[in-house]
Amino acid sequence: MKLAQLLALPATLISAVLAIPEYSEHLHLRPLPNGYLYAGFNFTASTSLSAYESQHFRYFPRSLGQILKHSGTRELHLRFALGRWDDESWGSRPRDGKREGGTGVEIWAWLDSGGGKPAVEERWSSLVNSLSGLFCASLNFIDGTKTTRPVLSFEPEGMHRGGGGGMELLHGTLPHEVVCTENLTPFLKLLPCKGKAGISSLLDGHKVFDANWQTMSIDVRPVCHVGEECRLEIQQTVDIVLDIERSMRPRNDPIPRPRPVEELECDESKSYHASDTCYPRRKEGEMAWSLSKIFGTPVRGSCHVADGDESHDISLEVSRDRAVEVLQGGSNETLVSHGQSQHVRAIRLSDTAKHTDISLPQQIIQEAPHQEQPPLYASRQITGFGQERGGMHTVLHNPHTYPQRIVYLESLPWFLRPYMHTLKVLSHPTTSHNQPATPVKPDKMFYTPALDRERGTHLELLLTIPAQSTVELTYDFDKAILRYTEYPPDANRGFDVAPAIIRVLPPNSNSTAGNEKTQDSYLRTTSLLLPLPTPDFSMPYNVIILTSTVIALGFGSIFNLLVRRFVLAEEVPRSAVAVRVAWVVGKVRGVVGGLKGRMRVGGEGGGGGGTVVGFGGAADVRGGMNGGSGGAEGRKER
Amino acid sequence: MDPTLGDDGGDLSDADGAGLRAPGIAKPTPPTEALRTLLTRRTIVLSFWIIVLCLGLPHWLWTTSTYRASLPLSTMNDWAEGKACDLRFAYPIRLRTPGWARERIVELGGNLSALLGHDGPGGLLDFTIHPGDSDEEPLPPPRENVALTVVLHAADPPGTHEVTSHLEPGESILHLGSGITEAGQIADQIREITVPQQEALAYVLSGTPFAATEYEALRATRQTWTETSLDARNNRTFKPSTTYHLSFSLFVARNEPSAWAIEDALAAYVAPLVDALSSLSNFTITTQVQLHASFSPSIAGPTFDEASGEWKLRREDLSGFVNAAEWPLSPSIGEGSTINFVLYVPAAEYSPLVVADTGGTVWLVPQWGGVAILNLDGPSTPLKATKATDRTTLSATDLDEVMLTFADQLTSLIGLPSTPSGSLALRIAALQRERATALLLSTASTLGALSRLVHKLPNIPIPDTVATSVATSLRHIDLACQDLRAGRYSKTDSNLGALGNAQAASEASEKAFFEPSMVGQVYFPDEHKVAVYVPLLGPMGVPLVLAGVKESLSLYRSIRQKVKGT
Repeated sequence: MKLAQLLALPATLISAVLAIPEYSEHLHLRPLPNGYLYAGFNFTASTSLSAYESQHFRYFPRSLGQILKHSGTRELHLRFALGRWDDESWGSRPRDGKREGGTGVEIWAWLDSGGGKPAVEERWSSLVNSLSGLFCASLNFIDGTKTTRPVLSFEPEGMHRGGGGGMELLHGTLPHEVVCTENLTPFLKLLPCKGKAGISSLLDGHKVFDANWQTMSIDVRPVCHVGEECRLEIQQTVDIVLDIERSMRPRNDPIPRPRPVEELECDESKSYHASDTCYPRRKEGEMAWSLSKIFGTPVRGSCHVADGDESHDISLEVSRDRAVEVLQGGSNETLVSHGQSQHVRAIRLSDTAKHTDISLPQQIIQEAPHQEQPPLYASRQITGFGQERGGMHTVLHNPHTYPQRIVYLESLPWFLRPYMHTLKVLSHPTTSHNQPATPVKPDKMFYTPALDRERGTHLELLLTIPAQSTVELTYDFDKAILRYTEYPPDANRGFDVAPAIIRVLPPNSNSTAGNEKTQDSYLRTTSLLLPLPTPDFSMPYNVIILTSTVIALGFGSIFNLLVRRFVLAEEVPRSAVAVRVAWVVGKVRGVVGGLKGRMRVGGEGGGGGGTVVGFGGAADVRGGMNGGSGGAEGRKER
Repeated sequence: MDPTLGDDGGDLSDADGAGLRAPGIAKPTPPTEALRTLLTRRTIVLSFWIIVLCLGLPHWLWTTSTYRASLPLSTMNDWAEGKACDLRFAYPIRLRTPGWARERIVELGGNLSALLGHDGPGGLLDFTIHPGDSDEEPLPPPRENVALTVVLHAADPPGTHEVTSHLEPGESILHLGSGITEAGQIADQIREITVPQQEALAYVLSGTPFAATEYEALRATRQTWTETSLDARNNRTFKPSTTYHLSFSLFVARNEPSAWAIEDALAAYVAPLVDALSSLSNFTITTQVQLHASFSPSIAGPTFDEASGEWKLRREDLSGFVNAAEWPLSPSIGEGSTINFVLYVPAAEYSPLVVADTGGTVWLVPQWGGVAILNLDGPSTPLKATKATDRTTLSATDLDEVMLTFADQLTSLIGLPSTPSGSLALRIAALQRERATALLLSTASTLGALSRLVHKLPNIPIPDTVATSVATSLRHIDLACQDLRAGRYSKTDSNLGALGNAQAASEASEKAFFEPSMVGQVYFPDEHKVAVYVPLLGPMGVPLVLAGVKESLSLYRSIRQKVKGT
C-alpha cells in the first residue's frame, strides 16, 4: 500500500520527499488533443559539492563539471528549442514553462562576480565557448551584442551560499541556431546510461527532431537539504510533442506520402462531398499507439544505477477508462491506476527484462480529457512595411478571472533600434468589444539602450494584466544598415529576433482566489524574422569602378583642356605614326594593285580610296591614345 | 625606308606619290606658339607631376603600407644558429667526508676535479667540487645549486658496506661505503650517475645548431641501444608544459561497478609522486566514472581462446581500444595537456580480458595516457559481497595494482629518465635539465622561424605585441642559458630558474609566432589590389604619362635646336 501511494505521487513530489538519489530518471507521457503525444524526459544526477570541488565525478558529467568549475559558474540554464507549443489546443505548458527555451539556443547563468565586470565577461565568454564545443552548437557567437543582464525575469533556483550574493546573471540567446541531432548526441553522452539503457534509449534524433515542438534543457544548481551536505544537481530534460500518426509511419518507408483516395476518411455529411472532393472526418476517440511504434524502439533495459532510487520510471497521464498494456520481457499485463491520482499510471522498469513497451489500443472515451488552461496567451509580430522602419506588436491575453502580474523581457539585437517614447501598453476587456482601450502603466521598467555593435537592447517591463482582458504592447523601431561584412551568407532571409520571455508572477499571498498556483511560470513568444535592407554584394567593386571612371573622366578632360593646344582642323599636322601607317598601307595596296593589274589589264582606281581609309585609321589610333578627351578630336594638336 | 620623318610633317604625301593629291594646295600649318603659352603648358604638366610624385605617391604608400614593428632579427638569428649561447651544464658536487682531515679533503677534491674535468671532449657537464667544510651529523640541508652530494663513509666501522654505494631516494645524496676512498673510485661512481645524463643531453642537442662538433664525439661513442631507448622515451613523452591535467576514468562495460574508491587510491599512489614532480609542472586531477562503455566499431573485438579460457584482445586492436567517439575523454579546458588514465572493467561474459601474445592487461598509449583492464574474476570476487555497496564499488585494495601501474606510466609519459633508479630526486633533476634544454632549443628555433618568416613575407604586418613577445622571449632565453651555466636549475623565490625561464621564453616565442593578426594579412591577394587600382590609375595615368612624354620630347628638341642654332 505504501508503495502504491508512492508510485501515485508525481515525480516532482517524490524527489522532494525522499533524500535525492545520486541519479534518477523519469518519463512522463500525456496524449494531447488531435492526435498528439507529449513526452517529457527528465534525468537528474547530483554530486556532493566537495566532490565537485576536487573534481571527482560519478554520475555528474565530468565534461560539464570541468567547464563550470573553470568558468566559475554557480548556476547554469541551457536550452535548445524548436517549434511552437500550441497553447490554444494543448493547454498549459509542461513544467510551467520553466524548462523551456526560446527557438534556437538560450542560456543564462549566474557567474561569480569577483574581479569586476571584465572578469565576469571573460568567464561568460569562457563558459559559452566551452559549451559551444561540448554541445556542437554555435554558442561561441554569444558575445556582448547577444548578452543581456535581466533584472526581474529570472531568479536563482538553487540554494546559494551567502544568499546568492557575489554572483551575476547573464543571459544570451541565439535565435538563428537550428537545433539538431548533433546537439542531442552530446546531450545523451552526459547521461550515465548514454541512451543505451533506461528511458534514454528512446531518444533518437530522427524522432526527437521530427517533433512538432521540442525543447532540451540542462539546469545545474546547488541543492541543499537540512542535515545533509549541499549537492550540485544537474537536471536534463527533453520535452517533445509528437504527431502520433506521423511518428508511427513505418521505418522502412519514412517519406510521408499522400494516401490513396480509397483510404481517405471523408466527412460525407458535407454538402460538397463528391467523388473528387473530401473533407477529412474528425478522428473519433483516442488513437492507438505504443512506445515502440512511436519511438521506433521499446525501452531497453533499465538504468537504476543509484542506491535509494526507488521511484518509478515512466508515468502515463491518461483517462481512467483507457486501457493500457505493459509488455515487460515476455509478460503482458494491464496497467491500472493507483490511489488517489486517477489520471496517472506509473511503471517501474524491470531490472531483468530486456525490453519494456507500453501500448494503448484505439478507444472511444466519453470523458473529456482534463486540460489546464495556460496562465496567459502571448503572441508577437513585426508590423509595418519598407526597409527603414517597423513596429513591434505584442498581444497578451489573460483568460482568467483574476489580474496577473507579469515580467515581460525582450532582448533585441542592436540593429533593431526601438523608440521607447512610442511604447504604448493598452488594455481592453475581452468580454465587451465596445469599451475603449485603457492605457496600462507599467509598474516598473528596466531599459538598457543598445550600442551599435557592442550591446543589444534590454527591455524589461513589470505589468499587471487585468482580468479577462487583452493587453497590446506596441513600439516603433528603426532598422539599422549593417556593414558589408556583417551580413550572413543568407542575408536576404532576414535576421532572427529572439523571443520575448514572459514570466507570470505568482499572485500575492493575500489574494482571495483559492486555486491559483504559488509558483511562477514562464512562456515565450515565437522568434521573429526581421528583414533588413540588404545591399548588392558586388557593390564595393561597382562603387570602386564607377567612382574611378568618373574621377578619371573629370581629370582627363580638365587635364587635356589645360595642356592641349587648339588649332583649326586643317592645320592639324599629321603625326609621325599616322604617316608611317599610311605609308605601309599604301605600299601594300600598291603591291596588291600591281598584282591585280598584271592579272587583269585595266584594273585600276582602288588606290585612292585606300589612302583615305589609311588616314582615317591613323586618326582613330590617335583618338584612342588620348583617352577621355574624345570630344576635342579633329581640332587638337599635340 | 623612312621617307616621312620630315620636320613638322610638312610634305608627307611623297610616300605614296604626289599624284593622288591635288598639286599646289599647301597644307596650312598652325601659327607658332608664343613662348609664354609654351611655358605655361610645361609648368602645368610639371606641377601635375610634382603633385603626383610628392603628394600622391607618398600618400598612397603611407596609407597602404603595413605596420611592421622592428624586431631584433640578428639576435634572433644568432639564437637560431646556436651562436648566442654556449650550452654548458654546471654540475656542482659537494663532498662530505665526516672525520677526515682538512688537507686530505682538499687534496681529494683536487684529484677528483682533475679526473672528472678530463672526462673526454664530449663532456657537457661542468663539474665543480666543493669539499665539505663541516663534519656535523646529520647533514645540513644542501646549499643551493648543488647537483649531487657525495658522502664518504670511510670513517665508519668497516664491514657495514664495504665497496657499495647507495643513493638516498628522496634527495640527491650518494653514500659511498667505507671501501671507497680513492679519487678514481669516487670518480667512477659519480660517472655512473652522470653518464646517462650526458647521453640524454647530447641526444636532445643532436641535430641542432647548438650541438658543437665536440658533442658529436660523445654521440659516436654512445652505444646504439642507448639511442634507441632515448628515441623510445622521447616518442612517448608529452610536450613539456607548465600544467598537466591528469584524468582518471573508470569505464565499465555494463552498469556495475559504478563507483570506485579513487580518492583513497590517488592519495596513496599518485599524490606522493605528483608532489615530487611539482618542481617540474603543476598537476590537476579529475576523475570520472562512465557506464555502458562499448568498444569502438573499428576494432575486431576480443575473441575467446578455448585453451586458456580467456578473452584475447588482438595487438592491432590496442590502438583502437579507446573509443574516442563515444567515451567522453574530452581534453580539459584551460592550458596544458591532458594525460588520460583509463581503467576498463569488461562485462562479466567477456571476462577475463587480456591482450593476446603477452597476456598482459596494461598498456601505454604514447603521448596520450595509459590503459588498464581490470578483470573482476566472475562471481567469486570480493566484490560479490553481501552489501549492495560492495557490489557496486571498487575498493582501494582492488585498485592497488592498477594505481601502481598508472603511477609508473605517469613517470614515463612525462619523460622521467629511468636511471639512476635509486634516487627520484636525481631523476627529476635530470629531467629538469633535459626539459630546460629542450625548451631552450625549441624557443631558439621558433625565434629563427619567425625571423625567416618576417624576412620572406614583406607584406605581413608586425604588431607591437609581437615585438614585445620577442623581447620577453629573448630576455628569458638569455637568462635560461645563464642559469644552465650557473647550475640554477630549479625555481627559487628570487629566480625562475633555468626551467622556468626556458618555459617563459618558449611561451613568449610561441605567442609571437602565432600572433593571429599577422596571419590574416598574408592571404590578401595581389589580384584584389589590381582590381581596385586599375580603373582609377589607368585612365588617369595614361594622359599624364603621355603629356609628360610629349612635353619632355619637345623640350629636348627645342634645346637641341637651340644648341644647333648657336
